Amino acid sequence: MTRDEIKDIILEIIEDIDEDADFDDLDADQPLRDQLDLDSMDFLDIVMELRKRYKLQIPEEDYPELATLTSCVNYLEPKLKDI
Amino acid sequence: MADYQLIIIGGGLSGLAAGIRSARFGQKTLIVEGHSLPGGLNSYYYRQGYLLETGLHAMTNFAAQGSKHAPLNRLFRQLKLSRKKFITHEQLGSEVIFPQASLQFSNDFDFLCEEIARHFPASIDRFRAMAKEIDAYDPFAEVPWQSARNFLRDRLAEPLLEDMLLLPLMVYGNAEEHDMDLGQFAIMFRALFLEGFFRPQGTIKDLIDMLLEQYAQFKGELRFRAPVAAIMNKDGKVQGVRLENGEEITADAVLSTVGIPGTAQLSGWPLDIDEYIGRMTFMESISMLPKLHLPAERAGRTILFYSLKDELRYHRPAEPIDPSWGVICFPDNFQGLERQNDAPTQVRVTNAANYDLWQQAAADREQYRHLKEACGRQSVAAVSKILGNYTQGAIFQDSFTPMTIERFTEKCGGAVYGSPIKIKSGRTPWSNLFIAGTDQGYLGIVGSMLSGVTIVNQHLLT
Repeated sequence: MTRDEIKDIILEIIEDIDEDADFDDLDADQPLRDQLDLDSMDFLDIVMELRKRYKLQIPEEDYPELATLTSCVNYLEPKLKDI
Repeated sequence: MADYQLIIIGGGLSGLAAGIRSARFGQKTLIVEGHSLPGGLNSYYYRQGYLLETGLHAMTNFAAQGSKHAPLNRLFRQLKLSRKKFITHEQLGSEVIFPQASLQFSNDFDFLCEEIARHFPASIDRFRAMAKEIDAYDPFAEVPWQSARNFLRDRLAEPLLEDMLLLPLMVYGNAEEHDMDLGQFAIMFRALFLEGFFRPQGTIKDLIDMLLEQYAQFKGELRFRAPVAAIMNKDGKVQGVRLENGEEITADAVLSTVGIPGTAQLSGWPLDIDEYIGRMTFMESISMLPKLHLPAERAGRTILFYSLKDELRYHRPAEPIDPSWGVICFPDNFQGLERQNDAPTQVRVTNAANYDLWQQAAADREQYRHLKEACGRQSVAAVSKILGNYTQGAIFQDSFTPMTIERFTEKCGGAVYGSPIKIKSGRTPWSNLFIAGTDQGYLGIVGSMLSGVTIVNQHLLT
């Protein structure tokens, strides 16, 4: 999976979780949670959705890796490269 | 391998919400419901062609679509339901009526503040400060019980205002008598005063159908007329459930929404069950009136919380009902609800009741019927002091008693708000048996759904 595809998937999952999500001014290197006003339950759902779709186990200590859109793609790229 | 990853006992609001969460993330889930209809404490039934809602006067925790962190909107995201498509009708306005004073309130918290400034000018600043404190309080933190009355006495030092604030908060969610836990108080204060009342578009049946559809979309399974006889356990873990028809279904985990006493009976949990049976139960009368003529000051109200006595007496009455205080609800009085000109008006009155006296009367059909009629008349007589002669020409009247509640919800003692002792963590002696719903501590329609969601999130998804 390319980096662009991974980015699209993350945005799609977020949109799925929050119908009001607005990505117009999204800065890929700033924390997602602050820009999109997501809470911890929403964030957990992103993790759960990734697990459901790609059988990816993401341990709690790795959650900080998912802080920004860029860091998400960096973290997921090796895990999703064969999909 | 077990038949299911999760079995949920009870297809009420907390069970359905828990089911949606579990199924959403691919867990093989089964809800077993003993009755033929879902909804539990907030269900519906048909009588003479009318669909009547049990339990629903109004939903609380109103929040407009944009308030992302409001409980209602978080709940919708958790269930993956569209808040945009969920049409809501806010209340017109409600009132707390005591002999000495009355306070109106609406979904605009400032309105309540104005009313308090008018009737309790010496207390308004303290009230605003207290509300700020409650707004910031985390009611879900697991802390020991704290007296709401002591808190109010300390912050407000105004006994009448204390009682007037407590009447709606207690009658819509307090399982304890006389006092309530500060955490519960904070939950109810937000639900009723900071956020407020609304009706969903349609009836409770439409809301429940929306949940059922979502659950089915996520491939959740559901069985009606499947009452559970026992929660099977072995070697310190639960294995699943045995239905009353003898069928055994295994699961990795079980979530029970039937309450602590019911769960204890099903599992053999060594509890002193009496401590967990609530003493607060109610009788409710529903009237359909062709035309409702109200005194001007009572018109256009959604819910009236009344007390004919000077002090709030929130406890089990010594008589079958205590008509001296209660709730009067006009289910049609919500913004934007169009009613045809000749459609009848619905009025619902709720009064505290004594379960034991009703249970005794129920041993004999005639006696029970007489008691229903006598208490119905008592209630009408009391409420007529507030509404005038309102039942004239009633085309339909029905009532349900603590016995009705117990029969249809299996809540021991007809205790609609469940056990006075809650288990906030939802944990039981078994590591894979959990409770959700009223006895986990979140009350109301929104609250009980959040309970189901939270327990699944905390214990069954990670």
